[in-house]
Amino acid sequence: MPDFDKLRALAKETISRDDIKYLIGWRQGTYGYRTSPHFVRIPEDADQLIFSPLCSSNLATYLALAEKRPVPRGSQPDTRKVAILVKGCDSRAVVQQLVEQGIKREAVYVIGCPCEGVVDLRKLEEKYPHTLDRVGARWENGNVSLDLPSGNAVFPREEIVAGKCLTCRYPNPVIADVTLGENVEVSGSTAFEDINRFEVKSAQERWTFWRDKFNSCIRCYACRNVCPMCYCAECILDKQNPAWIQRSVNISENTAFQLARAFHLAGRCIECGECERVCPVEIPLSYLNRKLVKEVTEQFAFTPGVDPEAKPLLVGYRPNDKGDFIL
Amino acid sequence: MSSKPKIGVYICHCGINIAKTVDVEELTKYAVKLPNVRVASDYSYMCSEPGQLMIREDIRKNGLNRVVVASCSPRMHELTFRKALVEAGLNPYYLEIANIREHCSWVHKDKQEATAKAKKLLQAAVAKVRFLEPLQEKEVDVGAAALVIGGGIAGIQASLDIANAGFKIYLVEKTPSIGGRMSQLDKTFPTLDCSACILTPKMVDAASHPNITLLTYSQVESITGYVGNFQVKVRKKARYVDFNKCTGCGLCAEECLLADRVKSEFNMGIGNRSAIYLPFPQAVPAKYSIDPHSCLFLTRGKCGKAPKCVEACPAGAVDFEQKDEIVEFKTGTVIVATGFDVFDAARKPEYGYSDYDNVLTGLEMERLISSSGPTGGKLVLGKGDGEYVPKEIAFIKCVGSRDKSTGNEYCSRVCCMYTAKLAHLVKDKLPEANVRIYYMDVRAFGKGFEEFYDRVRREGVRYIRGNPSEIFKRNGKLVIMVEDTLTGKPLEDEVDMVVLGVGLEPRRDAREVIDLLRLSQSSDRFFLEAHPKLAPVDTAIEGVYLAGCAQGPKDIPDTVAQAKGAASSALVLLSSGKVKVQAQISWVNEPNCRGCGYCVEICPYTAIELVLVNLMGHQVNVARVNGVLCKGCGACVAGCLSGSVQQKSFMDSQILPQIAALGGKL
Amino acid sequence: MSENFEPNVVAFLCNWCSYAGADLAGTSRIEYPSNLNVIRVMCSGRVNPMFVVNALQQGADGVLVSGCHPGDCHYMEGNFLARRRVALMRELLNFVGVDERRFNMSWVSASEGAKWRDVVKGVVDNLHEVGAFTEFPRKKIDW
Ligand SMILES: Cc1cc2nc3c(=O)[nH]c(=O)nc-3n(C[C@H](O)[C@H](O)[C@H](O)COP(=O)(O)OP(=O)(O)OC[C@H]3O[C@@H](n4cnc5c(N)ncnc54)[C@H](O)[C@@H]3O)c2cc1C
Ligand code: SF4
Ligand code: SF4
Ligand code: SF4
Repeated sequence: MPDFDKLRALAKETISRDDIKYLIGWRQGTYGYRTSPHFVRIPEDADQLIFSPLCSSNLATYLALAEKRPVPRGSQPDTRKVAILVKGCDSRAVVQQLVEQGIKREAVYVIGCPCEGVVDLRKLEEKYPHTLDRVGARWENGNVSLDLPSGNAVFPREEIVAGKCLTCRYPNPVIADVTLGENVEVSGSTAFEDINRFEVKSAQERWTFWRDKFNSCIRCYACRNVCPMCYCAECILDKQNPAWIQRSVNISENTAFQLARAFHLAGRCIECGECERVCPVEIPLSYLNRKLVKEVTEQFAFTPGVDPEAKPLLVGYRPNDKGDFIL
Repeated sequence: MSSKPKIGVYICHCGINIAKTVDVEELTKYAVKLPNVRVASDYSYMCSEPGQLMIREDIRKNGLNRVVVASCSPRMHELTFRKALVEAGLNPYYLEIANIREHCSWVHKDKQEATAKAKKLLQAAVAKVRFLEPLQEKEVDVGAAALVIGGGIAGIQASLDIANAGFKIYLVEKTPSIGGRMSQLDKTFPTLDCSACILTPKMVDAASHPNITLLTYSQVESITGYVGNFQVKVRKKARYVDFNKCTGCGLCAEECLLADRVKSEFNMGIGNRSAIYLPFPQAVPAKYSIDPHSCLFLTRGKCGKAPKCVEACPAGAVDFEQKDEIVEFKTGTVIVATGFDVFDAARKPEYGYSDYDNVLTGLEMERLISSSGPTGGKLVLGKGDGEYVPKEIAFIKCVGSRDKSTGNEYCSRVCCMYTAKLAHLVKDKLPEANVRIYYMDVRAFGKGFEEFYDRVRREGVRYIRGNPSEIFKRNGKLVIMVEDTLTGKPLEDEVDMVVLGVGLEPRRDAREVIDLLRLSQSSDRFFLEAHPKLAPVDTAIEGVYLAGCAQGPKDIPDTVAQAKGAASSALVLLSSGKVKVQAQISWVNEPNCRGCGYCVEICPYTAIELVLVNLMGHQVNVARVNGVLCKGCGACVAGCLSGSVQQKSFMDSQILPQIAALGGKL
Repeated sequence: MSENFEPNVVAFLCNWCSYAGADLAGTSRIEYPSNLNVIRVMCSGRVNPMFVVNALQQGADGVLVSGCHPGDCHYMEGNFLARRRVALMRELLNFVGVDERRFNMSWVSASEGAKWRDVVKGVVDNLHEVGAFTEFPRKKIDW
């Protein structure tokens, strides 16, 4: 685990470089367990940087989505690099954005942070509701140690980290210009037991489950907005001509929306779990994504966001792709 | 939408073909009530002149701007009705056809059911037609010249045909001479014409043709543009011999310090040449070149006191200062005729090709047996004192063909016949020799092939069915281990010489050409044709054609036939001078495009590229469709996540209403 | 489900093989159920899998996408691209509990009029078993 001094020193050094525009990292949030994205523009800003088990947000979202302000006539666009801190899953988003040409390699400076897992705030919230004082956290011998107002508490990893971290196959950044700390052990697998368990249920049971979930969706689109892979200028969900999905919030449009969102991530989802984390009504979105991750892995032996030179999954085919469903 | 839709609906009875099962009157009544429909009529034969007149008059009288015809399949009469629209002054793409014959009246019996279905189909057509947009059918000019890559028999033939039709040809050949593999052959099956005798005149014709610019010892560096407008850059490699001064006398080669010491590629390494050389006596152009890899002066900067060749040349043609030269030109079409390589026999180590001098490939045998070859046509092995005449000679077929272990599952199509030919030539030279051919099958499919095979057998060549497993040396003889699969008996055959019937493979440098044109390969790695049956000389890239073995193994007659086919395809474009551009193609809504390049990868016709555009001072990528190359399949549209690329007449905004109309209740 | 339920099927056919095959069924007067209506596209590669979701929303009980046999695509690869997309969308729909028999794909060539009938019959027969699509249809369909 990198101590903050090292991190901050590196960030200072980085931001002092002529070819760096700004650095995106995390800092402690205003209250409780929250952390916030932090934009470092001058060396002093780096003093607030942290990297802890509470830094769950995927900062890669800010790369492709960075606003392109009009360049005043006569001046040149600022083409300096953006430096970014990435965990393993975040780094896959960077790679997938490179594959999809959302960003250019020379426009990013990637600082890799090997990660032992981030805390699922919902689990923590359950144990210690309404914590307002700021809480610090660190990894300690495979456990997560929290400095709570009530004192220090240590939780085994399995008990407290997000579901995505328990199955994570890429805790170490797959792309980095510089890495902070040592690589960690990989424990995730492609067993997809959770998905398999759900698949054996009857169609009726499956639909009932999802119907209830989709029914509760308020179509805030937080899941889409946070997704590092969703950065179209105009999303088809917002289009009115043609209107693929109508605006009304009901089971028909909600389901169509959920299917569109999941399908658009087929072969692209890098399993950072951000959609699920931000959903205000707790729809298990990564479950839907993971179903497709499973198919993409098993049918096409494809893993998005690991190889910047790879071709995207759905722009190609193999003549012997599975086709046993075809009449 | 350009103007508020005013739709005319025309329902055809098709005699009784439709009217018998679909209640056309009810359908007409239903049609009038559909949104934006101004008039609806039914008629016995809409495709007849009176039927079309009805449409034309309605368009004029009622100011219709959209037409729906409910009739037979659009594959039958879409063009007919489009013409009718044009005649009435309406854009032909404001038409939609509801197929109520093939898809309805002919396949259903129950009148009620069929009528209900016809209503749905009609409703969907009306739903779509409202959103159709006018399209333009454009043409682009085709530059009156062709580039032919590869100067084998395929390239030569294609060049001659096109040049004879009056168009300019740039024939680019990598080696110092045109002629290709055919120039290396001795005689050709099944007629046993001497290869040089039939090929040389064609080579000379090509070189002297006023319409053909021959660029030998040259390589295409880049091809940009698209059908009709290819810009080509060719590198003419330095020959170090002034092309215009050289008379081809050959005095230089005799004096070269390395005379007879450099392996001759043409003779498959059996014979030698000088560092300054003509690949073979009949080479065209008959101009010498210096091989920069062996020439002492070029590799070491020093050759004796002064290079002998310079001294020897009476014309003063040797010029070590010569540099590569870049030639640029434009052509309307491209023919790829880059031929093949023979299978590398070393990849089947069990046959001992790398270990034993008396194991040869078929192509080496061609050189050995040729009267213009290194031995003057004497069939002898060994060198100097060790020279001997083989008596027991075996051929093995299908080496590197029909063989999964080498990755080549295909049949090379010429080895059956060339081994028969070579066996015949051996018998001709050495009547006493015992010749046998090990085979899996004999495929004598071509004209005169079976007769030739028969003749060779009657001459005493033995065919033994079996696929040898190993060749090794014992007491100075080669021993072939094989099971005769007809008798089931294992054999150990002792011979003096083995000729491997090596197959044809894609050229090992094929990638160069693929990268130039973004050609595709089929699973056998030869270049992929646009359609195996119906477009065997075309490629996915409009205006680019394939000829000869570059597309797959072929004998000379098939190569020539295909070359003529490719020439004729190129001539269709060249002689009309125009190429029609599809109207129902894709285009990109650039402000919405995220520049991901998915569509670029998807398009099988390389019709889309990413271009940099200025977005408020930033350089951003967006996709752009080349309307000349797009064939209008729509595959890119379905793959675009942002819906930015759309296909005209098949836009999302046109198909979704169709879906709704079919899904909704009547 | 009700005795006289008749499924409504929306089918996307490529122009060159499947549409022509369906035309051939017509010229050969091969009879088949009338529950399926065709939308012609130039290539099965044009079919956006979201069309299928959209069709289910808009009143279809089942969908069929049909293209040329592998290797026969008029545009060389469109059907292969379609196959991947369809495979994934089928899995996704199935996962949320939509019976996979609602989403079918077939290869029908221009010479397979009889196969076209078999495909249509098969799809329609299956849908008779599966029943009307009630999971997430739109209340009101506008076009
Ligand atoms: C041992 C053997 C015996 C045979 N005997 C017979 C026979 O008796 N009868 C018969 O009908 N057929 C025979 N064949 C088949 C015959 O050789 C071929 O059909 C014929 O040579 C094919 O001609 P081509 O022009 O397609 O290819 P090639 O002859 O290979 O010519 C291709 C030419 O393109 C040039 N080239 C390649 N790449 C490039 C590039 N990137 N840029 C520029 N130029 C390039 C090459 O240098 C070459 O000159 C035999 C084949 C073999 C191997
Ligand atoms: S975040 Fe949750 S509620 Fe909001 S749109 Fe996504 S799934 Fe629906
Ligand atoms: S797939 Fe769509 S978004 Fe991507 S480059 Fe092509 S048109 Fe643009
Ligand atoms: S419609 Fe087909 S041919 Fe045209 S650009 Fe798109 S993928 Fe290429």
